[in-house]
Amino acid sequence: MDTVLIFTAIALPLVAAAVCGIAGWRSTVGVAGASAVGAAGLLLADALVLAVHVTRTGPVTVAGGLLRADALSAWMLLVVATIAALACWASLDYLAAGHPSRHGARRYGVLFQLFVAAMTVAVLAGNLGVLWVAVEATTIVTAFLVSHRRTRTALEAAWKYVVICSAAIAIAFLGIVLIYYAARHAGLDSHQALDWAALTAHADRLDPAVTKIAIGLAVLGFGAKAGLVPLHAWLPDAHSQAPAPVSALMSGVLLSVAFAAVLRFKAIADVAVGPAFLRTMLLILALATLAVAAVLLLGQRDYKRMLAYSSMEHLGLMALGAAAGTRLAIAAVLLHVAGHGLAKTVAFLGAGHILHLHGGSSQVTAVRGLAARTPLLGGLFGLAMLALLGFPPAAVFASELGIAVAGGAAGLGWAVAVAFALVLLAFIALITRTGTMLLGTPAGPAEPAPPLGVAAAAPLVAGLVLLAALGTARWPVEHLLTAAAAVVGAS
Amino acid sequence: MNTIGLALAAATGLMGLGVLIALGTGVRLRAAATGTCTALIGVAGIVAGVAALAGPTFAADLPFLIPVLGARLAVDPLGGLFTAVTGGVVTAAAIYGIGYNRGRHGQRGRAAQALTAVFAWSMIMVPCAASVTTLLATWELMALASLLLVVAEHHRRTAVAEAGRWYAAMTQLGFIALLLGLVLFAATAGGDSFDALRAADPSPARSAVIFVLVLLGFGSKAGLVPAHVWLPRAHPEAPSPVSAMLSAAMVNLGVYGVLRVGFDLAGGGTRWWWLLVLAVGAASALLGILQAAMANDLKRLLAYSTVENMGLIFIGIGAAGVLLSSGAPQLAALALAAALLHVVNHASFKSLLFFGAGSVLRATGTRDLDALGGLRARMPVTTVLFAFGAMSAAALPPSNGFGSEWLLIQALVHGIPAGGVVTAVAIPVAVAVVALTAGLAMATFVKALGVGFFARPRGDGAARATESPAPMLVGMGLAALACLATALAPATLAPALARTVGTTTGVAGDVIAGGVTVRLTATTSTMSPLVITAGLALAIAATAMGIVLVGRRVRRRRAVALWDCGGGVPTARMQSTASSFAEPLQRVFAGVLDPETGVDTASCPESRYLVTQMTYRRRLSDRVERRLYPPLATAIRWLSGIGPILANGSLHRYLAYGFVGVTGLLIVLAVC
Amino acid sequence: MSEAAYTQILNICAGFFLLAAVGMLSRRQFAGMIRLYAAQGLALAAIVTVLGIREGSVELLAAAVGLVILRVLVLPALARRALGAALHNRRETSPAVSIAGSLLASAALVLVAYAVARPLIALDPSATTAVLPIALSVVLIGLFALTTRHNALSQVIGFLLLDNGITATAFLATSGVPLIVELGVSFDVLLIVVVLTLLTVRLQAMFGTTDLDGLRELRD
Repeated sequence: MDTVLIFTAIALPLVAAAVCGIAGWRSTVGVAGASAVGAAGLLLADALVLAVHVTRTGPVTVAGGLLRADALSAWMLLVVATIAALACWASLDYLAAGHPSRHGARRYGVLFQLFVAAMTVAVLAGNLGVLWVAVEATTIVTAFLVSHRRTRTALEAAWKYVVICSAAIAIAFLGIVLIYYAARHAGLDSHQALDWAALTAHADRLDPAVTKIAIGLAVLGFGAKAGLVPLHAWLPDAHSQAPAPVSALMSGVLLSVAFAAVLRFKAIADVAVGPAFLRTMLLILALATLAVAAVLLLGQRDYKRMLAYSSMEHLGLMALGAAAGTRLAIAAVLLHVAGHGLAKTVAFLGAGHILHLHGGSSQVTAVRGLAARTPLLGGLFGLAMLALLGFPPAAVFASELGIAVAGGAAGLGWAVAVAFALVLLAFIALITRTGTMLLGTPAGPAEPAPPLGVAAAAPLVAGLVLLAALGTARWPVEHLLTAAAAVVGAS
Repeated sequence: MNTIGLALAAATGLMGLGVLIALGTGVRLRAAATGTCTALIGVAGIVAGVAALAGPTFAADLPFLIPVLGARLAVDPLGGLFTAVTGGVVTAAAIYGIGYNRGRHGQRGRAAQALTAVFAWSMIMVPCAASVTTLLATWELMALASLLLVVAEHHRRTAVAEAGRWYAAMTQLGFIALLLGLVLFAATAGGDSFDALRAADPSPARSAVIFVLVLLGFGSKAGLVPAHVWLPRAHPEAPSPVSAMLSAAMVNLGVYGVLRVGFDLAGGGTRWWWLLVLAVGAASALLGILQAAMANDLKRLLAYSTVENMGLIFIGIGAAGVLLSSGAPQLAALALAAALLHVVNHASFKSLLFFGAGSVLRATGTRDLDALGGLRARMPVTTVLFAFGAMSAAALPPSNGFGSEWLLIQALVHGIPAGGVVTAVAIPVAVAVVALTAGLAMATFVKALGVGFFARPRGDGAARATESPAPMLVGMGLAALACLATALAPATLAPALARTVGTTTGVAGDVIAGGVTVRLTATTSTMSPLVITAGLALAIAATAMGIVLVGRRVRRRRAVALWDCGGGVPTARMQSTASSFAEPLQRVFAGVLDPETGVDTASCPESRYLVTQMTYRRRLSDRVERRLYPPLATAIRWLSGIGPILANGSLHRYLAYGFVGVTGLLIVLAVC
Repeated sequence: MSEAAYTQILNICAGFFLLAAVGMLSRRQFAGMIRLYAAQGLALAAIVTVLGIREGSVELLAAAVGLVILRVLVLPALARRALGAALHNRRETSPAVSIAGSLLASAALVLVAYAVARPLIALDPSATTAVLPIALSVVLIGLFALTTRHNALSQVIGFLLLDNGITATAFLATSGVPLIVELGVSFDVLLIVVVLTLLTVRLQAMFGTTDLDGLRELRD
């Protein structure tokens, strides 16, 4: 059962990738499109079953501990699967809307599924090495997705993305090597020394000085993949240049997948060197990330980059929650993962349509009066932005509030105050830009905009409905969230 | 589940139904059907609120709502009063809106209709929240719905988007202040339910921080100076029924919040808190009425009048707090009762006035007083109702505004000796402010009514105006009835006010007694609105009789042309305009208002002495806003200038961040 | 192998390892850099071989063979392919920090590495771990090269340098991470270099140069 569930989760996107590779992706819903969406749907079902299974029986491991499913991985898998399903669904429309070449479409289909597969492995990894390999694999796969449009800027973004992320992830690997070193000297054998469960169980025996260096490097490295400073600068470039569904997936879940890795390291560090070390570090990273995001949002003129910096803002908040580290805080952070993921997915998909409507210009000022021009698209994009800004009933509201409450209760009142002051700056920037895009009368002669089709709007509506449901009802996810928080040692 | 619970559940169900109807029905049915739902939400609010004021309270734990945190509801008399007032405003506004939305200024869109229902529901739920989470959630939902409603007419006027930006920024500022304050409070209390907060005992410094943050948060929603800047922008730009809901109901929730946190949860705090509230209230009252007196835009005038009335209410609250901490609980209760009565009264007359302004806008297409006039003959019902509302707003007897301001003055005057030097200095100032405000309000509303409705029309729109349809008149009638009831028999509200004051401050006993005559138990004052009304009616009747009698005695009546100094037949252009009416006041308060005025002349090319055209130009910007906000904007602009330096596109700079980060971390770890 | 001989051989290999890294910083010609990189790969393989002989571990010897294949043959070949694409840029023209400055910086980085490595050595003081600072300095030098070099190719080489340093750390500290992880890591590194090579080719085709100063269109 365990083995089947876990391997199915990894195999589904791989099979879909193979089908895409063999069948090729046609402009209409063909074999590949159907299999991609089908695989995403099945992955979601698998993740649901796994989540129920794990909450009933506790963590399960397969493949000699290399893969592991606990409440945290089940939750992350749910998020990955949901957003992959939405993005995959939207990809049908993206590729149908005048994609240049069949070859390109085929490559897109294959890489997209491989990307999902890599993230699946990353969240199901039970071994730090496997985790590292999977996260690195996401970089390799998405590099070609970022440069998919083959423009100068896309190539530039891809280069920066690969160089910065692989340098960062190499630093993280150095951290993992040092953890291995410390673990071996703590008496763990070579099979256990990178096994996350074994490491957390015996973390009190790890040498604190070595573990500090190791965890510090690992958090910096994985933090870079999560869009935290100092190696954050790839993010706005890559997210703004990638095709919309890929941006959605990168911004919506890839960042969070890397952040979940940070949480795994936190579980080790809190026992090995005490919670103060990583709390300080995460606080610095969180506030610096928020400050960078807020400052860059204030002067932002490009709406795709705006969405990217908004992701940094949200990841900064997640880091703040992780710094607080209580069970409520981690549960709120994990809820934030889902809330931000869904809202950002809808926002990026909407931005993709807006981009298409405006001849590829991603300037805020090029888009005016969108709500009057295409009410459905404008409305959906606007709602996604409002959700990102933290208005209820979107889940982001509850999770931000949870992070603030938990931060205050953990004695981080001043940090919460600084963080939310920066959030206010970001809010002002975002709402002003969104207002410019949506409100008023359309610039120039009001040529009739093609209305957003049902097929194109459906994934966006689904995402928003899910977001509101997630932000209103407590019981379906509460148990899983607290269990996941307990997994990473939050009490 | 008692009546309150059922009513709240019904409101929630109706909200869902309203949203579904709005999204699902065709444009013909939509406004009427959703409007009915919204009106019923209001009725449910009234039922819940009145039930809570009358007797049993209600509490419900809803752990299955709001992820991670859970929701919790409770309705006590304090919450009940505000729920009932909100419900009343919502009912009237929804009925009015059914008619209004049929016209060319109406909002018949799916989103606007659905949001109206959500907005109404969230306002009713805010006072029912019993935990920080629930309060903030309903509060933000209310902010969201109102923000979207404010920008509903964005494609018609450019000012709307501007107003929306201001409102969004200020509401979020308020929300974050509120969030931080309440989170700090919850952290001290170890739980986020109001029961836990009540039991908590934060240190004086911490509770001071909490109170100031919360005051900023709630005060910004109530339009208190200096966080009032959004209000005169956003309230006028919203569709008129929404303007009424914003200005008559939503602002009250700011009052509610300060009462709930300041008195109920934080237990009254120390004296300087309330002196601060008093000062802020006084500043808001003065600034609000001065700006209102100068305004030419009818809805903007009303919005500034809201700032003024909120100021008066906060003067009452501040005085109550000061008196309570000075050991004069009965007087404090009186001051609080006066403030609460004014909340009720303001809600009724301000919705009436905004409805009137909406009717005028609908009929004439303009809000500019200088383009109105002559509506008395064309819109008689609206004019009478607006006049009644204007009388209340000007606090003229026998209107309801007079009653509550009289109570407030009574409480203040008797409170002067209560607390030594502090009250002896602060309270006379407050009395002076209230008196000055009342005088200015008189001038303001004489202007609004006289220039806007009387004399001859100054514009085509005003000349073509016709009376509003029935639902609008019904909505206005309901608001007017509420005004009339609170004007003639304010004492009927006495038990409700006493219970509210009791739960808020813990001071038991009736502060106001009597049926027809209002008797103050704390002092020896009495006031009988009915007697005053009867007296006034007698006096007016006598005067009218006298005029008629005198008229009879003068034998022949001749119709001749008015003596016009040879200038010709008087035209509408010779009437006083709103600007000219306000000009003397503007001169008197030039030092405070700091207006920019000038006369532009255009002359013939042949000779500059042959003037062809003269224009009087006046720009009156908000002085508080001008002083406070441009530096903030400059700071933000400066901050946004850092962006291009941080992200200049150079990969090497980006990698250098990482290099410095990694080596920095390593060095720190090596050194420490 | 005696303790003294082991220490000496290890130190010599590590010395070459560091020297190759510093040498790469001092070169401008890409061809020379790639040769030095291959030489460094050899030094790394030698370190692993020495470790393997001392511990009598076949796994380590096999790993040494793998290292030779990957880091001496495959990766330099890939880098040369990228070089073949970069027709007009055969040398690093304008590093952000001059050659002399780079050398000074690398000296400072070695000092940092020694300071940082103290707790690492303290955990298990031995002749093997005593060399750890060298490996760490190569990591830092690699990061430095990556940061300061303005050409796509020299960035690839900087990344490879970084990776060599980490691999050396892994072997010196713990005789290598578990095989499956090591395989995955090597495969990933290979893929990254392939990706970077492909992107370099595309850069050359689209921008007409592999100089990265042109990559300034995406900014705020």
